[in-house]
Amino acid sequence: MQALQILIDGFAISSLYALGAIGFTLIFGVCGVLNLSHGAIMVTAAVAAWATADAWHAGTYGGALIGVAAGTILALATYALVVRPIQRSRAIPAEEKEIFILTSTLLWGIMLQEAIAYFFTDNPKTVRPLLPGVVEILGVRTPWNEVLTAAISWAAIGLVWLLIHRTKRGKQLLAAAINPRGLTLLGFELENIYVLVWGLYGVLAGIAGVLLGAFLGVSSANIGTLTASAFSVVVLGGLGSVTGSLVAAYVVGYLETVTAYLVAPSIRSVPVLLLLVAVVYTRPQGLLGRR
Amino acid sequence: MANLLEVEGLTKRFGGLVAVKDVSFGIPPGEILGLIGPNGSGKSTVMKLIMGIERPNAGAVRLDGTDVAGWPTHRIARAGVGLVFQHSRPLHRQTVLENIKLALLPDSLTRLFAGTDIENRTREIAARVGLSKVMDRLPSTLPFADLRRMELAKAIARNPKVVLVDEPFAGLTSAEVRDFSELIASFRAEGHAVLLVDHNVKSVAALVDRVFAMYLGERVAVGTADEVMRDETVRRVYLGGAIETATRPERDFQGRPPLLQVEDVSVFYGKAQALERVSLHVGEGEFVSVVGLNGAGKTTLFNAISGLVPYAGTVRFATEPLRGRTAAQIARGGVVQCPESRELFGEMSVRENLDLGGQHLPRDQAEERLAWLLDLFPILNARARQAARTLSGGEQQMLAIARALMMQPRLLILDEPTLGLAPVILEQLSKALERLRQTHDTTVLLGEQNVTFALPHADRVYVLEHARIVWEGDPARFAQEAGTGYL
Amino acid sequence: MRSWISAAVVGVVLALLPFAVGSYILGLLVFGFYYAVFAMSWDLLFGFAGEVNFGPSFLIGVGAYAAALLNHYFNTPIPLCLVAAAVAAVVAGLILAVPALRLTGPYFGLITLVAVLLLQTFIVLYSGITGGEIGLDLPDVFANGEVRANYWIALAFMSISGAILFGLSRSAVGLILQASGQDRIEAAALGYNVTKHKLAAFCISALFSGLAGAMLIFSQGTASVGLVVDIAVGVQAIIGAVLGGRRTIFGAAIGAIFLVAAQELLRPLGQLSIFVVSAFALLVILFFPGGFLGAVGALGGVLGRSAR
Repeated sequence: MQALQILIDGFAISSLYALGAIGFTLIFGVCGVLNLSHGAIMVTAAVAAWATADAWHAGTYGGALIGVAAGTILALATYALVVRPIQRSRAIPAEEKEIFILTSTLLWGIMLQEAIAYFFTDNPKTVRPLLPGVVEILGVRTPWNEVLTAAISWAAIGLVWLLIHRTKRGKQLLAAAINPRGLTLLGFELENIYVLVWGLYGVLAGIAGVLLGAFLGVSSANIGTLTASAFSVVVLGGLGSVTGSLVAAYVVGYLETVTAYLVAPSIRSVPVLLLLVAVVYTRPQGLLGRR
Repeated sequence: MANLLEVEGLTKRFGGLVAVKDVSFGIPPGEILGLIGPNGSGKSTVMKLIMGIERPNAGAVRLDGTDVAGWPTHRIARAGVGLVFQHSRPLHRQTVLENIKLALLPDSLTRLFAGTDIENRTREIAARVGLSKVMDRLPSTLPFADLRRMELAKAIARNPKVVLVDEPFAGLTSAEVRDFSELIASFRAEGHAVLLVDHNVKSVAALVDRVFAMYLGERVAVGTADEVMRDETVRRVYLGGAIETATRPERDFQGRPPLLQVEDVSVFYGKAQALERVSLHVGEGEFVSVVGLNGAGKTTLFNAISGLVPYAGTVRFATEPLRGRTAAQIARGGVVQCPESRELFGEMSVRENLDLGGQHLPRDQAEERLAWLLDLFPILNARARQAARTLSGGEQQMLAIARALMMQPRLLILDEPTLGLAPVILEQLSKALERLRQTHDTTVLLGEQNVTFALPHADRVYVLEHARIVWEGDPARFAQEAGTGYL
Repeated sequence: MRSWISAAVVGVVLALLPFAVGSYILGLLVFGFYYAVFAMSWDLLFGFAGEVNFGPSFLIGVGAYAAALLNHYFNTPIPLCLVAAAVAAVVAGLILAVPALRLTGPYFGLITLVAVLLLQTFIVLYSGITGGEIGLDLPDVFANGEVRANYWIALAFMSISGAILFGLSRSAVGLILQASGQDRIEAAALGYNVTKHKLAAFCISALFSGLAGAMLIFSQGTASVGLVVDIAVGVQAIIGAVLGGRRTIFGAAIGAIFLVAAQELLRPLGQLSIFVVSAFALLVILFFPGGFLGAVGALGGVLGRSAR
């Protein structure tokens, strides 16, 4: 019985990790940026959903949509205000651009975290579940919310896959990740591609944030942990590899769930951290990493 | 007299590629050896193997009798090898004096002060290479030649037994070349050994005692500079054999402005001048070849036209100036470049690469174009589903050209398409280009160091040497006038 | 030479400060001075050896907790605790250095972040021994907690550390470090064992970080995760160094003290104080990547030119 519980809970949590990680790795693969304000964007989306559902009478679904929109806008703002100025700056030598982007996205994330705490306090908030009630899966009582989390995550992941592998734009994205100069020579403006990727990332982070808010609740206090688990997944799976992130998300998700159930919830992140250390020491490019 | 530097049976493989194969030579004290070869010949790899930047798969490197192959770079340096890299590598935040001092300090963790001995020697060396007046300046304020002087100073500071110099005279004026030659000769006079690595014999002929010529990783000739320049094998692999020209239809360009007009274009990379007031033009339907060796400036010229590097001067395409447009805009506007590095999407299939080239076209036009190209390059059809990086060099080149052609260019720029390709493949490529010219009226600007490939198709030829256009004319005249002095 | 003179002047002013201001501000500056050492150690590693350490609080925390555990459980006298802190931190620095020297790009930065998370998790996990989030009480405190004495101790420590770190950066060894960090192939071609020098840089950075961490906890009388291990501690050190001006050592000190002072000055804003400081730091980084000292240098250049 507990095994089934672990299976189901682990699946839901892993799907959520996968959704968050895929956006994170897309940004790294195509734009070369490690966005340390990732957790902040997710939580902003969740808080926006929570706040507008009640305050603006948007209702559960309206709130969720607004949350996703908030995530998208915020991601684009991150690109336009924080990342792009550094990439274009002539005052910063090329080899230091990476650390500047890391530090700046970190600062941006802190700003967002404090702003949320100021306007909404750092008490945990739960977004109203999209579907109330429970359902029995193989004898385990599972909230509909949890099922929906997994379902929507996979729907989003599937759509992203379709976008990347079956559309013209998607092929351009893949090409940009492999060889940006080649793409420029073929007459494609890289700027347009970057804006598209950041927007897509915002949608994914927004959905992940809203789902997380409904499933487990969010607080501005655990923004740091969210970013940390996203990049743990991405490093394990291999920076830049979408498939890698998918696989790693499930490894991490299940490792955490098993630890939480069989040992203690408070140390569920320990095995993951240890695995991360092992991987970085022995195979730094991750499972399926390329760059 | 025993050789100061002895290389024996040196071999280096990178994956499946053999970059250096069984290379052996020796340099006695007081001799300058020239290691010559075009891009891809393995000469830079040999230099890295001697210096320990790469480890050989087989063979020995003996420094004054001691085998140093496999030693870490810093140990080899301390054993008595100095190196001048092709591109200057100063520490940007330190003065000239501090940069040179760095070449003299011991490898110690506890040394806080350099000491008067080292301070004095630093000034001595700065004076020897002619940098006394600029010792307190930062590298960014120095002219190009002074930066090269500083590199030389660092290399000879500890009086090494052997000095390796990569492309000693690239970017220098003739007066500066004289100064540098004297410095290197004086080092030889002190009884040291010098290895000059360069891509053409002519530039180092006056200075070297002997030449070791390489091609595709192997030795092709050894001897004095004259002997090597006259050697049949060398002429064949470097020049590509007998120079032929084919007759071509008369084209009348009078009255019509040229499709591409390049006027007084200059490009600087930092301090180095890569292009100096270059002017050329290409008429609609013409095939123009720009002939020049590595480092002459062909790629820089094409990158300026394609909007990839900043430049001074004017570039006009169909009378419209291209300045101010993004590189992608210029490509969409009809100026399509197939660069030396090909820039394929390695992990994508041949078909996907081609499709990306045709994405700007309406669906049916793209399909039509694709069919035509697969007919022109049948090998691509056979390999349509394979990942681009699994193709051979020649197939990749054809894919790159085909992909560029998918964009329906009004002007196709080809940069060194024959680089690293075996002669058999060159034949295929040449035939494909011929068919292309006959069936479609494409305007082509070709940059090549392989004269045999560049001439048969060309309507006109420019020669680019050391950043300047030095000759212009039709192919027949080229064979008579410029061909002989080319090597 | 000019740098030493201005530093000496500033030092004298700071030494005389306790006669002019109240104990609240002095207590704040104690924090500021220890953070200055955190930042200066980071600058030595990043600015000179070219290694990006995203988790300096790993080194700070190891040093601090080594001292704290000894003092709390064995009543070890402070000087011995400090020695233990230094040794523990250097060992931690070596553990961090080993993967660093094999990895490139963002991977090393990621390990340093993971190291901090691990340390934090283990401290909380074994809260029975370590005091967890609440922290460990320390039987010994500097000068029994008297503020002025603590101020001078902190000032002296910062001045000595700063002098050593700055001196190193300008020495022959510092020159070699700069080469190792900027262009490791050229450094090797010039005959330097880059690995050896980078390891040394790690050890020095670790030594000062750990020592400063230990001194900080003895000035406060407790050791806790929030004080010396939390990522925020490291982030503040990094931002201080970048804000003040990379590769200047003194800039790091200025930036760190500025951050501590700014957060305090903005305390009336309540929750928003961190927001404002972060926003300000972000703006400075975007528009003045050279930081405070970089901007002053540029200004001096402009003024110098226009004066002529």
